[in-house]
Formats: sequence, C-alpha cells, structure tokens
Amino acid sequence: MRNFKFKRSLTLIAATSLLSITIVSIPTVAQAAPACTTANYVTTCLGATTDTAPYMLITPANFNGTVYLWSHGYRPNVDVPAGIPGYGGYKVTNTPEPAPGGNPQVIGALLAKGYAVMGSGFARQGWNANSAVKTNVELIGIYKKQYPKTTKVISWGNSLGGFQSQYLAEKHPELISSAGALCLSSDVTAISDTAADALWLIKTFFDPTIKGGNYSAGAAGYAEAMGDLVKVFTVIGHFQAAIAANPTAPAWPATSKVPDALKAVPSRSALVLTALLTGVPMQSAHFDSTSAPAGIPAASALSFQLAINPALAALENVANAAALATFQIYDLELQTGGVWYDNTATDWAARVADERFIWASALSGESATNALLGYLAAVPKAKANPDARAKVAGLGTHTGISKVPTVLYTGLADPILGASQQQSIIDKHDAYLAQQWPANRDAAVKKRVVNNLLPLWGIPAAKYTKFTAAGSPDTTVAATPGTNHCNFTVKQYVAIAELLAYAADNGKHLSGGPLLTKIRKAGNMTYDRGYVAPKMKN
Amino acid sequence: MIRKTRRKGTWLAATVLAVGSLFATSLPAYAETGVTSKEIKLGITLPLTGAASPGYNKIGNAMNAYFKYVNDNGGVYGRKVTLIQKNDEYSPQLSIAKTNELVLKDKVFALVGPLGTANYTSVHKSVGIAKRGIPSLFLNTGFSGFGSKKTYPTSFMVLPSYAMEAKIIAQFLKENHAGKKLGIVYQNDEFGIDGMGAFKAAGTKFDVSVAYTSGTQSAATAQTWVSQLAAGGAQVVVFFGVTSATAPLLAVAAGAKYAPQWILGSVGADPLTLRALGVPLAVLNGAQTPAGNPSPNDTSDEYVKQFQEVNAKYNAGTAFDDYVLQGMNIALMTVQGLRAAGSNPTRKKLISAMETKGSSFASVAYSPLGFSKTSNVGHTGYYMAVMDANGDRKPFGGKVKLYTTDSGSGPVVVSTFKRPAMPAKGLPSNS
Repeated sequence: MRNFKFKRSLTLIAATSLLSITIVSIPTVAQAAPACTTANYVTTCLGATTDTAPYMLITPANFNGTVYLWSHGYRPNVDVPAGIPGYGGYKVTNTPEPAPGGNPQVIGALLAKGYAVMGSGFARQGWNANSAVKTNVELIGIYKKQYPKTTKVISWGNSLGGFQSQYLAEKHPELISSAGALCLSSDVTAISDTAADALWLIKTFFDPTIKGGNYSAGAAGYAEAMGDLVKVFTVIGHFQAAIAANPTAPAWPATSKVPDALKAVPSRSALVLTALLTGVPMQSAHFDSTSAPAGIPAASALSFQLAINPALAALENVANAAALATFQIYDLELQTGGVWYDNTATDWAARVADERFIWASALSGESATNALLGYLAAVPKAKANPDARAKVAGLGTHTGISKVPTVLYTGLADPILGASQQQSIIDKHDAYLAQQWPANRDAAVKKRVVNNLLPLWGIPAAKYTKFTAAGSPDTTVAATPGTNHCNFTVKQYVAIAELLAYAADNGKHLSGGPLLTKIRKAGNMTYDRGYVAPKMKN
Repeated sequence: MIRKTRRKGTWLAATVLAVGSLFATSLPAYAETGVTSKEIKLGITLPLTGAASPGYNKIGNAMNAYFKYVNDNGGVYGRKVTLIQKNDEYSPQLSIAKTNELVLKDKVFALVGPLGTANYTSVHKSVGIAKRGIPSLFLNTGFSGFGSKKTYPTSFMVLPSYAMEAKIIAQFLKENHAGKKLGIVYQNDEFGIDGMGAFKAAGTKFDVSVAYTSGTQSAATAQTWVSQLAAGGAQVVVFFGVTSATAPLLAVAAGAKYAPQWILGSVGADPLTLRALGVPLAVLNGAQTPAGNPSPNDTSDEYVKQFQEVNAKYNAGTAFDDYVLQGMNIALMTVQGLRAAGSNPTRKKLISAMETKGSSFASVAYSPLGFSKTSNVGHTGYYMAVMDANGDRKPFGGKVKLYTTDSGSGPVVVSTFKRPAMPAKGLPSNS
C-alpha cells in the first residue's frame, strides 16, 4: 500500500444530525380547540391533540381545500449532553413541524398556491410510529372540523415521518388523497437491527467498553447510553486523526482489544467491513469512493481510489448509523422492557459474499477479510430477551400496499439506508401486484390493478470528493446531493409537493414527459423503473 | 435538513431530458433501445487512465477500429456499429456510475467487453444488468463466478476462467517442473482466489505463497515479494496478477539477481506492455505463460494477419499487441452475435443468438467456446507458450498443445479442436 501524507490534519465528519430543525414557536398546551391568529391573510392555529401533542395549522385566506399534513423525522427522546458531535445540547422537544424543517420557503410556496399546511410535534419522541399515526389521524379530524371546506388531505413526511405517511397510505386511505414518504424508515426491526449492528461492530472491533444495550433503569441507564454515544464519537474521532496521520495504515484505537495478530490488518479495513456488514452505502457526504487528490503518482492515486477514499466514506456513514443506534437501542429497551438486539443467528460472512470482492482493496484482500470475519465469528454474540425482541416488531412496519398514490424519494447514499428501505416498500408493492393481477383475472375482475407507487431516486455524482490545495480531503463543503440523510433542497421538496397535489387531484401520478420535466427541474431526481437499490442486510 | 445549494448540470438531468423526449414524441419505427435503422450502439467500461490502464486502455480503440472496418464494408445488416467507451479508472464505484451513463443516458443496446472482476460484479449488482435484460457480451475477466447462468443470465464470458487457467498451469507444472520448489504471487481477491482454489484442487502445493492486495503493486511492495520468494528458495514462480504488478515483480527480481523460472498468468503477461513498463527483454526471455491466442506477431495466422491490416488502417500508430488482438477479436465476435440476432435485433434475440449460435462463432482463440442455453462460459482452454529473446511468444515445445478443461472438477485434457476459419476478409456473414 502506498504511503500517503496529508499535509494538514484531516477534518471530517460532523456526524449528520438526524434532528429536525424547527423554526416555529412552541405552541400552547393541550386544549379542546386551537387558538388562532391571522396576519397577512394567513391564519395560524396552535393546539394539542388528546395525547397532548402540540400541532400547528397554517391556512391561507384563499384556501383551495387541500391541506398538507407533514410528519417530522426522528428526534431523540432524551436530552443530549453538550459537546457530542451533531447532537450535543439537544433538548427533547415536541415543537410542531408543519413542513420540512418548518422551512418558510416551502411553506410560502404552498400557501401562495392556496394550500394549507399542518403538522404535529407528536407526544412522544424517539421511535413513535404507532402513537404518531394516531396523533395524525386525530389531527386530520381537527383540521377538517376547523376548516369544513377541506376536500383533500395530502400526507407527507421524511425519515420516521416518512413511516407515518406511508402508514397512512396503507391503513387510512379514506383520510388522505396522496402520500409522500421521503428518505423513509420502514420496518422498525430491520432499521433498528442495522443501526445496532453498526454499534455492535464498533464495540467489537474498536472499544469493548461500549455497553451497546442492556442499559440500567432510570438515570443510570441514561448515563450509560450517553456514555456510549461519547465512546462512539471517540472512536470516530480517533479514526479522523489516525487516517490523517497515516492513511495507509491508521493506528487501531487504543481502546481496541482485538488480538495483536488482527491488528496487522489496517484498522481502516475493519471500518470498511463494518460499513459493508451493516449495508451502509460506500458513498458519503464528502467521499465518493472514486476520487484521489490531483498530482500524486498514478499508483498512489489508484490506491487512494480503491482503499483510502472508501474508508473515509465508511467513516462518515458508520458514524451516523452508530449514533442512531445508541438512541434507538436505549429507546426500544425502554419501550420493550429488555434487551432486544440479537445477532446470534447473524452470518456475517454471508452478508459480504459479493462486496468482499468489490471492495477487496479497501478490505486489504481476502486474507485480511477472512481474519476480520473469523474474529467476528469467534467472539460472543449479542443475545436478546425473546419477549423484548418480539415487542419490537409490534412497533411498526409496512405492508408496502399503498392504497393512494404515493411518491417515494430518497438519496441512494443515505447513511440511514433510505434507499434500501424505499426498495423494501417497492418490493412489497411489486409482490402485491404480482399476486393481485392473476387473482383479479381468476376472479374475473376487470378493473385494472393500479400501481400506486412513484419511486424517485437521488443519485450522487460519480465524483465529488473535494481536496484542498495541500491534497487533503475538504469536508467543509456541503454534502453532495444524493448523500446524507434527507438531504433535500427546497426545490426538491416543492417538486414533491406538486407531484402529490397532482396525484391528489387526479387519483393517479403525473407521468410521461410532464413528470420527467418536473423532476428534471427539481434537480437530482431520477425516475428509473429498472433501478433496484441494495436490500437491507438483515 | 434542507440544503439550498446544489450541483448543476449532472448527467441525470440530461438523462431525464432524454427520456422525456421519448415520451413527448412518437416512438421511432424501430423501438429497441440502442438500435435505429442506421445504428447499433454498444458500450464498454474499462480503465483508460491511471495505474491499471496500461494495455487495457488499448482494447476499446481496437474494438472501434474493427467496427469501423465493418461499417466501411456495409455494417451489420446496413447498420453502423458504434462503441462508446467509458473510463472507470478501474474503480468499481466508478464502473457503476459509468455503466449507468451507458444504460440510461447513452442508451446502449448492449455492453461489450466490460473489464475487471470487481468492477463487473458491482455493475451487475447495482445497475441491474440481468433485471433490465441488458446483454453483456464477452466480459474481459476470467472470474469463474461469471459462468453462473443462474446469476448472470444475460452475461457471456469470453476468456477461459482463472480456475481453468490454474488447472492447466497445474498440469503443466506436473509435466514439466516436477520436483522443483514452487512459489506463487497472486492477487488477493477473487481473481487470485479463483486460481488458488483450482491449484489446491489440482494438488499443487506451493512452497512459497505471496498474496498482494490489488492497488498496492509497486516496486516497494515487489521488493517484499521477491525477498519472500528468494528466501523460500522458489525455483519456479507462478504469477497470478495484473500486468502493472508483473512489471515491478520482474524488474525487482532482475535487480536482485533472482531468476527463477517464471510462469506468468495470461492476465499479466503481455510482452509489449511489460517492455513498455520497463521490463528488460532479457528478463522476459524464457518466461512461460498460458496463452489462448496466437502471438500477435504471428503473421502466418489468418486472424492476426487480418487484424493487423485493420489496425494499420483504422488504429494507426497503435502497436499491435495482445490487448489490441483481444479487442479486435471481441469486436469480431460481437458482429457475429449481432448478425445472429437477425436484421431486426432485440436484446432478447441477441441473448438467444448467443445461447444457440455463440459456440460456433469464429474467434482467434484456439479453444472451443462453451456458450449454450445452460452455459455462458466462453473459451475453455490454453496452450503453454514461452517468450523468446525478442519478447515474442512461441508455443512451448514448438507446437501448440491445447489443453481444455472446465472451472470445476473436470479433467484437463489435450484437445484436438480446430477453431473456425476467419470469415472472408474478416467480415462475418453468418446469420
């Protein structure tokens, strides 16, 4: 392996925050009827549903009868101590979010066309799929009561909010006319396992003092979980420094307890393997797994492309997955009453049967890969409490059978596996159609089975890693489109909203040239019926 | 998160625009992707620049040269054949992006000659080659896994597999180097592992075994390989890697006065490229290698002679070597495939033609082709050759002794197969 020297220290990662940033003010507490104020021809109502979830309704004077119901994404259900990257200083909040991030441009664009917007802050944070759906159902009723002129409700949301929206499309088609599920979380078990896999692998390879679950009750458990979060970012921070110092053979963290023989394998390869085993993409916000600094010898450039850049992509994405895991493990243990993560049946080697060849250089070859996998096979596994694990499945999943026109959109390199989860919805829907077509034929049902899904993809550019004049990766630039979690522009959100409005008005999706023109104008939005995203690894 | 800045003008925009125009206008008279009444559009990904490009970067131009020759002689049922080359720099992630461009933006009819095992593995998986029904002909890789018709139903190999190659080398070692201390240097990925598995199955035991990770080849790393080989006393060394690794290995060994009997795997043994990479002729002299094709200098061979003429006219200034020969041969086979698909080709017809007629295609390689409805295996054998003082390659023992086998447990046999003759003037007329 070539020896690289970054002339300046490598600064990476600020782990992508999963938090939704809101700009609206905190509303009043629960009340029977909303309190409304009108200014500049726009009426804003604040109130709370019976579960005490605050909500916000924003309605223009020229309301056209259609209201957008936005569901916000995942917010941790615990405060986060200051100083932790991406999350430090976060306080649990149920501030209502009537549009993506409360963005005034998105809200303004919709109000200008006569649409209303609304959203809840939900009564509970963390994984709240079931309770949030109930909140949304109630909120729709509240809105219709407040504005009897309402004719259509369009549901949309991102991340965990995408779950809510897809769920409404499946279970409550009578309440909504179309749905948008963006960078969605789908099956709670699959996404939680994926995140927990990432944390378990970081613990196993790099810091066995990470507790990774089985947290104590009460304040002690909270301290343990936050302690884990700190340890995760300590490992990530170590890699930032170690790769900057020696990209070819970065030191293993001092906290690692893998056998010395295994430490002959570059630690970056263990990081890449962690990414591949969990299924997180090998393109991240700043690392494309294809680029190398300009001006270095060709052989060095090839090494950088095949081995170093992928390690940095893995670092950025694994940081996101592991951070989510800490919150999710803690939260789901609270909800299920015990240890729910289990990898006793996981066949790690089978998970990388193809990828180990594709990323052979980044993994430092077959022998190194076998050594790392051998270690994972030998160490004790995580074992769940069966009752707790069974309860996780009850916390929310999808059938994939959308009963109203539904737009799906995600970046392919979403570190929280938005693409894989979107694909799972598509697969379930395709299976339904495949079963339904012959069933209808046999039953002499002449009505055509409608494909309600319009899946759109945000594909990162082939090359986007930026380097400073000194040759170090530049991570100060904005995350590339198609990467990061729910990394969408205002234009893209507005385009999705317009597609949903068309679907609500017409009972079917926009298609053909008009569809393609619209998504072209939105930017980095592709409709490709032949595309199949990688499946979840578990 | 809302981001307000975005990259402008990606190819995706062009893609949707192009797709949009299809929807907006009436369909053309001929509605197969990549085929019009005047043209058949094909695509290839390969490293055109970078450390892995030497040699490989000649293949696309060689294919294009042959296609131009065919086009100047009437094309394929009157259609011009166009090949779009995309530079993937040997990066699997880039191969995905570039193949997506070929499929979505350029709208090629088929892929031809995509190069690299890791590259094609990632492309097949991520681009959905099989799901989209895209024919992918004559893969420039010998990974035996691609011989799975179940996993790769629309893909067709051309090279004998690495497993076949290893089995044949193992047989050759038994016949010619019994009792010697054996060493091997291999690429520590599916390429080398494919071969190592076959060596093991054949009972070949190496006294010194050196694995290197793809992308790490350099004079510095070659130093460690040579040290291990010399310390282990290896008298015969098999090299199972790429040319960019062969070159430092041989150069460093020569500098260290370490001169075992080299047996260079077919992938990394092109003499012209090795010489261009600084390997002295004297070092190559006597090196043994499995070969599927005649020497590119063998003008007594009808294929070589014809391809040399095409190269001189349509690829002027490019030295005619194994890579050029391979590229032109793939193009020749492609034209036969297109013709076999009929005057109104579709992707399905092309795949069917490959399965039913592909095994009878004319090809410069000496061994039979294995295409059938149940097999996408290409050529199935090698002969052993030895390099001379001029850097040329001659059959070991003075005469081609063709070994054929499979990628599994089948025996290595000496074959009497006679390859089909070169079509008249190098222009296929099959149907």
